[in-house]
Amino acid sequence: MSDVRPEDETADGDADDVPPHRARARSGRLDSERRQGTPYTESQVIMPTVKIVAPFAFTYGLFITFHGAGSPGGGFQGGAIMAAVVFMIAFAFGIEATREWLANTVVVALAVGGALAFAGIGLIPVARGGAFLQYDLLPIPVKYGLESVEVFGIAAIVSGVLMGLFFLLANGFDSDGSGFGDTGPVEDDPDDEDADGPDAAAAERTAAADGGER
Amino acid sequence: MTGAIALAPSAPVQAPVVAQITAVEASLLAFVVLTALATALARDVLAAVIVFGAYSLGMAALYTFYRAPDVALTEAAISAGVTTVLLLLTLAKTTRIDHDVAFESVNLPAVGAVGLLFGGLLLTMGDIPAVGSPDAPVWSNPEVSQWYLRESYAQTGVENSVMAVLAAFRGFDTFGEAVVVFAGGIAALIVLHREVFA
Repeated sequence: MSDVRPEDETADGDADDVPPHRARARSGRLDSERRQGTPYTESQVIMPTVKIVAPFAFTYGLFITFHGAGSPGGGFQGGAIMAAVVFMIAFAFGIEATREWLANTVVVALAVGGALAFAGIGLIPVARGGAFLQYDLLPIPVKYGLESVEVFGIAAIVSGVLMGLFFLLANGFDSDGSGFGDTGPVEDDPDDEDADGPDAAAAERTAAADGGER
Repeated sequence: MTGAIALAPSAPVQAPVVAQITAVEASLLAFVVLTALATALARDVLAAVIVFGAYSLGMAALYTFYRAPDVALTEAAISAGVTTVLLLLTLAKTTRIDHDVAFESVNLPAVGAVGLLFGGLLLTMGDIPAVGSPDAPVWSNPEVSQWYLRESYAQTGVENSVMAVLAAFRGFDTFGEAVVVFAGGIAALIVLHREVFA
């Protein structure tokens, strides 16, 4: 399967660059054009369409999230729709541009904050002498207790993790850090171990894994 | 089919009358089966991913037809939307091989094994009640399901009883599921040797 790659000799030619999440030069590109032949191009059809659709889709995601108590939906579905809006923007305006627009802090804060919010809402009744998630011990009505779990807990976790998975898959495997079998800590700085390639099979495998764009 | 059923007098929700299979239902089922077969047999991975998205959309429509809008929303958002995008993104990072033929050649021993399993599963179909049948356990044993339908609004104040069950009656399970999603994100970071998402 990996023998049909005529661009293989250029795949690790510029492997001494910064890691891809720091690389600003190749902004707005779905993948390396060497390998795929399909770089990111500004489509005059997709960009206006996404500009028009995205506010409505995001509003629909918010509605599904906040109105989950009265209609079908909830935090899981609404969070997925809101993350899908980010996917849509990334496909229209470029993944790297979207990555700079939506900082890593936002994604991590959504995922971690959602988990902490869910646990916190569940533990408040425990602190007041009840059971985990015993909503009638919350200082707010039971309905709003459920809503806050859905909105601040589940929707935040799902949207944050899905957006994170999207940007993570767009980056690919970090072959510059610790490779296969290396038990050391993962470092961000490249150490060029696949540029000279002592292990040809491992270098080829990692070059295939990261899309050969470095 | 009698249609008339005898529920407990305190149960306000009636079982739907068993109906003939409609044209919409039949076409949706045929669409789902055909797209599933095409997903399994497509030689090109990109074609398989796209057809799989169509399969998920057909399943979402089918769930809506069977009056499960919560499940349909999840299927449409997660399976048809997010999973398709993530699979396409993964394909964009890998090498795609051009194929001459559109479909895989059928592996006869595998078809035989799957056919035996499928036949065995078909034998159990006779014991499963029909869709909407009054003999289905959800209607013939109404104490559990009717209790949730009756008490979810009274105890939680939310109209959507699915959300009441998920967030209140089964809240600890839902907390576990949310933490599993969170742990999935962390696991993807570890597998891809990354420290930051974006």
